[in-house]
Amino acid sequence: MNIARHVAKSAFRFRTYATTAYVPPASLATLQRARVPPPKPKPESPTFYTGRATYYDQLLALESAAKHTRSALQELELLPLPRFAQENLPPLYGVWKNKLDLGELMSAKLTTSRYRRFIAQLNQLNEYRRLAEVAGHVELAERIQRVLGMFERDNKDAILARGKRKPVKFDEYGRSYTIGRRKESTARCWVIAAQPAEGESASSATPSEATEEVTTEVTASQTPDVPESSSPPAIAASIEGFESPAPSVKVSTTNILINNIPLSEYFPHVSDRERVVRPFRIAGLLGAYNVFAIVRGGGSTGQSGAVTLAIAKALAAHAPDVEPLLRKAKLLKRDPRMVERKKTGRAKARKAYTWVKR
Amino acid sequence: MASLARSWTANAARCSRRTRFATSVLAQVRHNSFAKIEERPLETPDDWTEFQLKRAEYQTLIDTFSEYGSTQNRDNTFQPHHSLHRPVAPSDITLSALIASGAHFGHSETRMNPNFIPYAYGVRAGITIIDLDHTLPLLRRAAQVVRGVAARGGSIVFVGTRSDLRPAVRLAAERLGKQGYHVGERWLPGTLTNRVHMFGPDVAKDEQVVPDLVIFLNPIPNIHAIRECALEHVPTIGIVDSNVDPRVVMYPIPANDESTRTAELIAGLLSVAGREGVALYEEEQAKAALVAAKKGPRHREPHSA
Repeated sequence: MNIARHVAKSAFRFRTYATTAYVPPASLATLQRARVPPPKPKPESPTFYTGRATYYDQLLALESAAKHTRSALQELELLPLPRFAQENLPPLYGVWKNKLDLGELMSAKLTTSRYRRFIAQLNQLNEYRRLAEVAGHVELAERIQRVLGMFERDNKDAILARGKRKPVKFDEYGRSYTIGRRKESTARCWVIAAQPAEGESASSATPSEATEEVTTEVTASQTPDVPESSSPPAIAASIEGFESPAPSVKVSTTNILINNIPLSEYFPHVSDRERVVRPFRIAGLLGAYNVFAIVRGGGSTGQSGAVTLAIAKALAAHAPDVEPLLRKAKLLKRDPRMVERKKTGRAKARKAYTWVKR
Repeated sequence: MASLARSWTANAARCSRRTRFATSVLAQVRHNSFAKIEERPLETPDDWTEFQLKRAEYQTLIDTFSEYGSTQNRDNTFQPHHSLHRPVAPSDITLSALIASGAHFGHSETRMNPNFIPYAYGVRAGITIIDLDHTLPLLRRAAQVVRGVAARGGSIVFVGTRSDLRPAVRLAAERLGKQGYHVGERWLPGTLTNRVHMFGPDVAKDEQVVPDLVIFLNPIPNIHAIRECALEHVPTIGIVDSNVDPRVVMYPIPANDESTRTAELIAGLLSVAGREGVALYEEEQAKAALVAAKKGPRHREPHSA
């Protein structure tokens, strides 16, 4: 705390007696003085004496840009933004340069605290840009983007697109091509909307009704001895006094072909067939689409699971409204379970050899 | 009793109900709905436009009726940001302005530096009160120094290393144009004494790195900077509080170093003086350029002492 002592000490480092020769005042005028060098130019940047001029100049420029944007948004009555207006703003993604790249930009190594402060300013500006964009002030948003673009990563679009599913493409006939996988099986699936049969209404989804072909495929192997005549309208007609509640609606037939074989023949087990048809049941689009699938690898469970996933993805592409339903039912998730490898010292993946006391 | 309370509330409600607006105002405003802005989420750009228009309506209403209300408005009353953006000129500074900014509050009596006693008015409630009768002439003297240095083309650095002092030093440096610099963050040790390493040998040789005047708004955290200035023979001005020896800086200004308003007032005042000095310097440069142009390129000026 003794500042006086510090000052006194430094004073004593300099000699107290004269170090230059004595010149009488009368000869001062004739004395040859050393040439005064021309004045050196002063430093350019006002933040020169901080030692990190480029960084602070950029930071102050960002701060002033934020200030101007804030006042512009206040003029436009967008700030302060009430809570109900904040709800529908799209999510904010700031993909900024990392500390090293930003340091290169400023030709000086950035410390973490300085980097964070800089990024905080960029995020603030990004929020203002989002607000301007959403409210329809394109010019203002573009001007802000020009400032922010200098500090964004080059592969920003690639990073933002990560995790997003590629959109399913449709060919000129309206077919979707999707791939599903389960265990060691891969299924490639083409799904096309079924054409309405002549003289009938379009085969739009009738949730409660099942198609003849699909239901007969599923149930045929279940109950092979049930005769054809025992279809619901026939049963109803045979019982006296029974009045069917509604007239029967004819729905067009659809096919599910797997490796060019109909579903009922390819999967003898009911569980496999039910699994394949489940996406249609949940979406309520049982008679709406034709399916052609090629499956390779694995066994029956794997192949049926792969086809299910492929069909679910195709349905989500054909009928986007149905996607939340399928997502809730976990049909759009690729089951990550695979056969666990056998380990040394064990009979199988987990099964241990019989434990011997000695 | 209950009925009395109820009637009172009813009367109160009747008083606070909105008065009927003049029909001319209604005609001016496009939408006749003065209902509260509906709190539904805004989805389309049209919703946003609607929202902005409604708010603009309210603003128009307020502006229209402001004319019929008090003559005091935002422009002619004191606002907290005025000490930053409306600096006082050195000739206009008054004792009451200093007291209003809290410049007379020193630190606790126990921390008083004995060398500060000439500038202390006394002690009250354990706090040293700074004598502003000393502060005012010292402040004006410091302003003269700043004006003089600036008028001779000197570079002036404003140092204020607290977060609340940052805008004050930045704006003060801006007022001085090319001759003003500011340090709002930590002063890196060796900026002056180790300038060859800090700025590179080229910059240290070609540019004038050592400034001509340094002004400290908070000298205690910047004691190393003050020492560097002393080593490099740079004159210093500083706001000294009662726990500081006033001799650390060349031109002390005894005042409260903890108050933001005081620092903004003093920095603003000194920067206004500096601005006048810069104007004088530029005038002189322009005159010299004119004279040199008249005399022609062949004429050579004798080397000045």
